[in-house]
Amino acid sequence: MRAPDEIIHQPIRLRIMAALTTPGCDTEGLDFVRLKKLTGATDGNLGAHIDHLTRAGYVEATKAFVARRPRTTVKATATGRAAFERHVAFLKEIIADAD
Amino acid sequence: MALNREQAGEELAAIDDVVRRVKQSRIYRISGEIAMIWGVMQFVQYGVYALAPSRFGWSWLAVDAIGIVLTALMLRRAGFANAAGPGRALAAFALFYGFGFVWTGLIGQFGPREMSVFWHTLFLFGYSIAGLWFGAGFMAIGLGLTAAIVAVYFFAGPAFWPAIAVVAGAGYILCGYWMRRA
Repeated sequence: MRAPDEIIHQPIRLRIMAALTTPGCDTEGLDFVRLKKLTGATDGNLGAHIDHLTRAGYVEATKAFVARRPRTTVKATATGRAAFERHVAFLKEIIADAD
Repeated sequence: MALNREQAGEELAAIDDVVRRVKQSRIYRISGEIAMIWGVMQFVQYGVYALAPSRFGWSWLAVDAIGIVLTALMLRRAGFANAAGPGRALAAFALFYGFGFVWTGLIGQFGPREMSVFWHTLFLFGYSIAGLWFGAGFMAIGLGLTAAIVAVYFFAGPAFWPAIAVVAGAGYILCGYWMRRA
């Protein structure tokens, strides 16, 4: 039997990956502030989850200065997108099996 | 780890919720930037009117054309025009202008003030309608700015032109800024 992706399965990380794989964001990524709004996480919590996803190779974070302010942009990697697709397929499979 | 149907459904619902919010956020962001561009255009148009009223008609059309091209380019850059090209945005503008020209050129007996208020409220009506599909922010901007512009028409008196320039120009810029951050 297939298993859920333990990294993505966590609710905040699931929301991060869902946001980063939405068409339009999959190529340009999302900045930290927008991700915070979308996930409802605190700064520290979101940072920790992004670190976790980065270590797994699912996302990459880029830091830059825009208008003299630091901005962190997070993008899903090809590995992350594939893992998220597999996780969604697994969830749909559970629903289909139960029906 | 095993998941049951309910847990899987909850995760899929969470994903759908995030995707919907990301899409709305992208629409708000690009719409906000476009509104800010049109706010600047309003200042340019009313500035030309103040400095050279005799060239107002052609300059208004020229500035509008620049605004339309910029809008189409911004939509394309943001990836909203990939499927249909900029054609859909241009078609929307053509429909609004066509409707407007029928009223201002053929049917209505509009003076300069009425003309100015009509065009603003026509496009803001479009914003309000868009709110039914794309989020309440559009409706708030459409109805709010329409109310402000109608108030200028009735109450600004001799200060109508500077007042409409400030309300329309600053209104679009501020609303666009708010929308971009929403």
